[in-house]
Amino acid sequence: MYEKRERLVKASRDVTMYSKKVIFQVHRLNSKNKESVLEQAERDLANVKMDHVTRVAKELQGSEFWKFRRAYTPGMQEYVEAAAFLEFCKNGRLLTLDDLNESFAELKDASSNDFQLNLLDYLLGVGDLTGELMRLAISSVTDGEVDSAKSICNFVRSLYMSLSLISQEVDDSWEMKQKMEVMLQSLMKIENTCYTVHVRGSEYFPGAVLENIEGQRMEDN
Amino acid sequence: MAGLLPNLRTPACGGLLTRWVALCSFSKRGVALRAVVSARRAPYCSSTEAGKAGSMMELMSVDRQFEEFRLQLEESGAVRERLRAIVSELDSATRLMQAQLLLIHHSRPSPEILSKIKAHTEGLRSIYGQLAEVLKSVPAQYYRYHDHWRNQTYTVVFLLAFIHWLETGGLLSHGDAAALLGLKDGEFGLDLEDYLVGLCNLSNELPRYVVNQVTTGDYDCAKRASVFLSDLYAAFRMLNLRNDLLRKRFDGMKYDLKKVEEVLYDVKIRGLLSDTTPTSAAES
Repeated sequence: MYEKRERLVKASRDVTMYSKKVIFQVHRLNSKNKESVLEQAERDLANVKMDHVTRVAKELQGSEFWKFRRAYTPGMQEYVEAAAFLEFCKNGRLLTLDDLNESFAELKDASSNDFQLNLLDYLLGVGDLTGELMRLAISSVTDGEVDSAKSICNFVRSLYMSLSLISQEVDDSWEMKQKMEVMLQSLMKIENTCYTVHVRGSEYFPGAVLENIEGQRMEDN
Repeated sequence: MAGLLPNLRTPACGGLLTRWVALCSFSKRGVALRAVVSARRAPYCSSTEAGKAGSMMELMSVDRQFEEFRLQLEESGAVRERLRAIVSELDSATRLMQAQLLLIHHSRPSPEILSKIKAHTEGLRSIYGQLAEVLKSVPAQYYRYHDHWRNQTYTVVFLLAFIHWLETGGLLSHGDAAALLGLKDGEFGLDLEDYLVGLCNLSNELPRYVVNQVTTGDYDCAKRASVFLSDLYAAFRMLNLRNDLLRKRFDGMKYDLKKVEEVLYDVKIRGLLSDTTPTSAAES
């Protein structure tokens, strides 16, 4: 039993590590290399699934799924985060739990176990997604894509609103609560970024706001 | 060893003695004592009936006292149980309201959103009515159970005060807040500290609100919030707060004010404010 737990922890750690790499890969994204970056990330993610999530799935039979949840939850959360992040960058929507479990269906052949992602790991993983989106929003502003920052902002807002309604009901309410707080922090960072771009953006980007402001400022000085 | 016995005043039946000793949680010593007692029974058993009765009385009074404690604790446990059930309702109501309130960050606050949230006030009133009903059965123990609804009340006050500010641009007074919730001083009132902490929560929310409003193009919002918040801050400064939760929350207020003022500065220096100085009621 202990060995099994050890193996799970190890597999989970590998899932975390390679999922993180996928996330970094997605962060390389900018307006020019979108296709190739996402393709690469998708391939990497599929590899993570086949190579490492399968290892987790192989170990778990029947009630062990919940028994060892603590051992493999970090990896699953990270995987959800990576998959959801990729999906958002590709299609601008939230990856659903059903999507994920559908993609896990093929693991069944590889591991002979019917491995499903549980709701808790999904929610906790989605909670982490906000942090990545925050970084994405800020880097996209740096790239001059203000609109994409705004759409991220709205996406995160609606995500936060939906999660805030159920966060209390989640089993690991404490862990979820922590994540909600971090999520709000990230959301506020995105909002602050949007604000800064909106108010001061006129000084860097042409078009958006009144042209005479610049002149007025000169007079004031 | 024999010297111990007179101290006990109870050279009576061994069973009772052990029980008495056990009650005092000297059970180990009790066994030893009983041995002594049984060995010495003959000479001491001649003690008076009065002494025996006295020891019985003492035992019974100990028992009775603890029985009373048990009843009292069970009673307050039952009260807490009832309160918890009601407070969990309050909790979900406030959570729902808060989630709906998040919508005001998405766009300009529309009257529909606000009226939707305000519709919950009725439910809150009935929940507080239930709490008051429970508290009526234990008069004058408001503060004994206060912790149960305290956190939720902060949020309730924050929600009501925020909505009030959004609608009128003014501050919801303590009396008005209590009236909205159907609370009366004297029986089940709105604790002043709860009210004030709720206002601190309002202050914490304003910077975020202002940032988002300015982003959607409502530049005058910064002006309104800044005026309101500095008034509120000035009013809080008049209070002589001691080192407690409220004081800590108040200390945080200056950062909210700072943030709002920064936004106002940003907006003003770029000439984005409308020329007419907006009165606080302009929006409604």
